[in-house]
Amino acid sequence: MKKWQQRIRSLLMEQFSLPSDVVMEMPRITIIGHLHFYIENHQGLALYTNEELRLKVANGFVCIKGHSFVLKMMLPKEIMLEGTISEVLFLNQEGEKKE
Amino acid sequence: MKKENSPTIRAYITVRIKGARPELFLQKCASGGISIWDVKKIEDDCCQATIMLKDLGALRKIRRNSLYKVSFVDRKGFPFFLSRLCKKRFLVIGILIGFLFFFVLSNLLWSVKITGVPKEIEEKIETELEAFGIHPGVWLFSLATPTDIQRQLLNEVPELLWTGVNLQGTSLHLEAVEKTIVEELPPGEPRNLVATKKGVITNMYVSKGRAMVSVNDYVVPGKVLVSGNLNTEEGENNTDAEENPGQPIAAEAEVIANTWYEVHVSIPLLYQAEEITGEQKKKHYLRFGDVQLPFWGFKDPDFIYSQEERREQPIHFLKWELPISYVSKEISETEKIEEQRSKEEAIEAGIQQAVTQLENELGPEAVILSEKILHEHTEHGKVELVLYLSVEENIVKEELITQGD
Repeated sequence: MKKWQQRIRSLLMEQFSLPSDVVMEMPRITIIGHLHFYIENHQGLALYTNEELRLKVANGFVCIKGHSFVLKMMLPKEIMLEGTISEVLFLNQEGEKKE
Repeated sequence: MKKENSPTIRAYITVRIKGARPELFLQKCASGGISIWDVKKIEDDCCQATIMLKDLGALRKIRRNSLYKVSFVDRKGFPFFLSRLCKKRFLVIGILIGFLFFFVLSNLLWSVKITGVPKEIEEKIETELEAFGIHPGVWLFSLATPTDIQRQLLNEVPELLWTGVNLQGTSLHLEAVEKTIVEELPPGEPRNLVATKKGVITNMYVSKGRAMVSVNDYVVPGKVLVSGNLNTEEGENNTDAEENPGQPIAAEAEVIANTWYEVHVSIPLLYQAEEITGEQKKKHYLRFGDVQLPFWGFKDPDFIYSQEERREQPIHFLKWELPISYVSKEISETEKIEEQRSKEEAIEAGIQQAVTQLENELGPEAVILSEKILHEHTEHGKVELVLYLSVEENIVKEELITQGD
């Protein structure tokens, strides 16, 4: 059932060229150099320390690593992180993918 | 992507959340609609975050159902600043009163200094100034302008020849020069009386001296009318020998002559005049640079024609002139009168004008006997007149007899 929904969504996205983050319920991430990390449409904060931020997204987690992290802004579905970012990881349920 | 920069005008507080994984608590708050910023992890079980003061209630509600401990670290923003000021209310009031005090005092007249005149005139000037409302303790901006004070003083105190009024900060410096009545010629010096204008003599009253002309004589300027030399021509030669009758004396006489003047006047047939009807309105402003803020008299009077009189007075703080000044405006209603007059009326007016003009020139003693129109001519809506006026006046001028030549 879920697979079927997913398929329709990708179809919509391709056929009507709708923005993927709206259709697929995926997070929109903006990174400015290694200074700022801005995420919209996340589904909750899982872990936060000075060196790591882990956020729950549609299918898995986004993990940001670096140091001297400060959450500049926290809104219901948005987070803005400031600090020195060294890596961003997408942790899927199935496996790991690095960006 | 909007960045919410910490608004200083609103109150915000910094809180510390203690407990296992405090970020989860913060996430719960964020999901509950509380905007949070500047989140820092201080320790493993301690987080510091900043929230708006108005969200505190919501935060407490969330905390109630959890095991986290919330403590307050800092409070910032304008409302907190205000409440802190309220605690030091008396200090603030004191500072305000102090400023007000300085402001008031630097806009008062503190002293009036009069220089250049003897004591009794100084006192007279002081009482006169008092009557105009100028004395230590009055508002500087209710003061008349220096030129007005000067004019009024000269009118009211006849002993004064000149006054210089100068407002220096909060003191009024008044420099005055006393009139000294200087005799044009030392009395008693032997002198002749000569004519100043050409004319026909109509009357002579010689009290001292020997008349050289008689009534109905035509005289030209410079002609000796009354001689201080009592001797006749022949006797004059003997003055060196016989001392007694030869001494010339100071001649005194009044010689009234009929003189004449030609006056050119031109009178327009169509004339306009402005008259003040008596309706007036006062407006008061505070001026900051180019901006004028009215604080009294907001309504514009519905005058069709009006005349404006503007007075500006700078406001001082200590010795500095503030960029604010007090402006008062007096708007008087005027009426425009446009009238057409006939040629006869114009000529009448022209004669009147010529007579007053001449009277002003000659002084009160001259009597205008008659006026005749020599020539009249209308051109471009104007009547040009050449008038002939005959006047009776004193034409005497004193002239010293230089001795020893």
